Amino acid sequence: MIRFFKFLIRLSSFMGKELIEIFRQPKLILTLVLGPFLIMFLFGLAYPDQGRTLRTTFVVTDPNSIKEQINTFTRSFSSSLVNYDIETDKVLALEKLANNQTDMVIVIPDAPLKTIQNNQQAEFLVYHNEIDPFQIGYIQSVARIYVDEINRQFLQSMVDQEQGDSKSLQENLEAAIIKTQAIRKAIPPGDVTTATQVADLEKDLTDLHEKLTTFRSLASGVVVSPFSEKVSGLFNVLLSVTGFFAPAVIVLLLQHVSITFASLSIVRETRSGIMELFRVSPITAFETLVGKYLSYLFFGSVLAGVITALAVWLLKVPILGRLQDYVLAVVVLLFASLGVGFLISLISETDTQAVQYSMLLLLASIFFSGFFLDLRMMKEPITYIAWSLPATYGIRMLQDIMLRGTSLPPLIFLGIAAIGIVLFLVDWILLRKKMESQYA
Amino acid sequence: MLDNIIETQDLTKTFGAGVAVQSLSMQVPRGTIFGFVGPSGCGKTTTVRLLTGFYKPTSGTLSVLGKPPTDFLKSDREKIGYLIQQFVLYPDLTVWENLNFAASLYGVGLFRRGRLNKLLDFVELRGDKYKLARDLSGGMKRRLSLAATLVHNPELLFLDEPTAGIDPLLRRKFWDYFKGLQAEGHTLFITTQYVGEAAFCDLVGVMYDGRLLMIETPDGLRRKAYGGDVIGIRTNEELRFEHRQQLESLPIVRGKVKIVSDQEIEVIVDDASTAVATLLEWSQAQKLTVAMMEQKSPSFDDVFIRLIETEVAHD
Repeated sequence: MIRFFKFLIRLSSFMGKELIEIFRQPKLILTLVLGPFLIMFLFGLAYPDQGRTLRTTFVVTDPNSIKEQINTFTRSFSSSLVNYDIETDKVLALEKLANNQTDMVIVIPDAPLKTIQNNQQAEFLVYHNEIDPFQIGYIQSVARIYVDEINRQFLQSMVDQEQGDSKSLQENLEAAIIKTQAIRKAIPPGDVTTATQVADLEKDLTDLHEKLTTFRSLASGVVVSPFSEKVSGLFNVLLSVTGFFAPAVIVLLLQHVSITFASLSIVRETRSGIMELFRVSPITAFETLVGKYLSYLFFGSVLAGVITALAVWLLKVPILGRLQDYVLAVVVLLFASLGVGFLISLISETDTQAVQYSMLLLLASIFFSGFFLDLRMMKEPITYIAWSLPATYGIRMLQDIMLRGTSLPPLIFLGIAAIGIVLFLVDWILLRKKMESQYA
Repeated sequence: MLDNIIETQDLTKTFGAGVAVQSLSMQVPRGTIFGFVGPSGCGKTTTVRLLTGFYKPTSGTLSVLGKPPTDFLKSDREKIGYLIQQFVLYPDLTVWENLNFAASLYGVGLFRRGRLNKLLDFVELRGDKYKLARDLSGGMKRRLSLAATLVHNPELLFLDEPTAGIDPLLRRKFWDYFKGLQAEGHTLFITTQYVGEAAFCDLVGVMYDGRLLMIETPDGLRRKAYGGDVIGIRTNEELRFEHRQQLESLPIVRGKVKIVSDQEIEVIVDDASTAVATLLEWSQAQKLTVAMMEQKSPSFDDVFIRLIETEVAHD
């Protein structure tokens, strides 16, 4: 019993020490709490819930002839083509593009109808000045949608015209049918061959009339685009940009804070020389490590609680799932992240090295954890890197619990818990070696 | 009880080709202040690290608290206090928090406030208990480290250069602390490069270039350095060459007579207490008026230098 109490007292030595050291830095705590909250808030303000508006310059040889059409087209692209102007000189337009006065230049083909009538496609030339592959992709999409829309409207106008023209054709057909009926009645009985031929003709004309009736009864929009789409999610939640990114920001912050604190913890003690005192004292590597884990778990949980509360109450980020699942996900994320941090601390020679490793991990987490890019877009071998980062599991867990309202995904939870346990064991072994290395 | 709390036999520690400690054999009786004296880099800290179990010996045997340090259990470690040369406590914790940390490290019970306050009184830091360690002076840091070493009331204390880099007044105070600890029953193994501090020890081990030259009492060291007791004689008359020759021929006198001035000399004798009478008789026979005759106590700096010089000459 006494031994157990002494064990608890020794654990408390590091718990108390680490927490006092952290809470003695109020500015640090304020930064840790308010920093991410402000970032999320500004992020929400900075990025509206729609795509980028492209300033567009149209190049046409005769602006007056086409201005109305351009107006009509751009209205249907109000979100992406709000600001536009028209130039007659392509070189001037491209100069504007190079000078960042416009985002996209669209050169409208000359005499497109003539080209089409010559059985050729009239080509729109679209120019941009982007280097970001995602922005290039965005412009390509906008251009494709833009041309599709022009094609659709062109076809629709053709259909409208043909539906109008078909009225007289239908009247002619009706007259033809009446005449055919009269001829059929005038055929003498017994002339079976002629009667059959006229009956067939009458039937063909009636079919054609019916088809024309159907064609004329259809709206031109339906004729041109017979199919449309309606997309629905299984989870009927409408999220703002802030709402979507909030769980990932919380995860990244908790992982980074845990890794940074833990990575500095042991390397500092090794360099200060106090490790020599630990080696001579009765404290063991296990007690040291557990004490440190508990102190940082406590601090990380408090930090997570405050940031989550701010996100929920001030930024209106939902937690649709169960709170206990959320707590469990945060704790297991902190546990695994601390394992990474202590590993860094045990293999680093200096504070600077530990900070560098932590920053590298943050960078890796931003790119590979699914924070920005969906993991399903990643190639197979790289996904192994992604799934070795606690943040990848954390983001999946928190997004599911907060935004989808599902329970803790069991496989993901087991995965991160396994990583945490393995890291704890590795850290324990390394710390034991460090504390006993001088015996050799 | 005067059993040995530390015993070593041919203890050797090498690092690669370098020998840090060579064939060290010694016994440290329980309840003593054992001074471990030697110049910087002579192997004092390595010896302490061997004795605390921080290093494993390359060869030889050692026993601390009755067993090799590498076999120490937690309960054995709780009996040891270790003051490291440099300040290793946490600068961002207060004096009180650092002391509490050290107490928890050794599993000292939670009702320890009284003991910690007593320790702070002992090292005269009670008024500074809420000061951050980084704001303390060098001497205060040293005292805090000492308090942290004593926090679990260890039976055996290893103090590695506890007085290094602090002023003479504070050094003296530290030795008063150490005497106080000895009086409470602690055994103190203290390394120092201030050879003058050997005077405060019960036993002194002289270390040089990884070797333990001798273990002696402070007086024994002097005797060993000079080959006996030193007696200073000053006369009213001039001491001539013949006088010195006669003195050197006396059976109680060892070696050459040292001339301090025309009227003052120093002689080395086997035993000062019995030699004084013989020397007075000799003075009277020579019709010399003795103005002063007393046993000299050479400084430990001189003693140490003489010992090292002898050792180097032997080599």
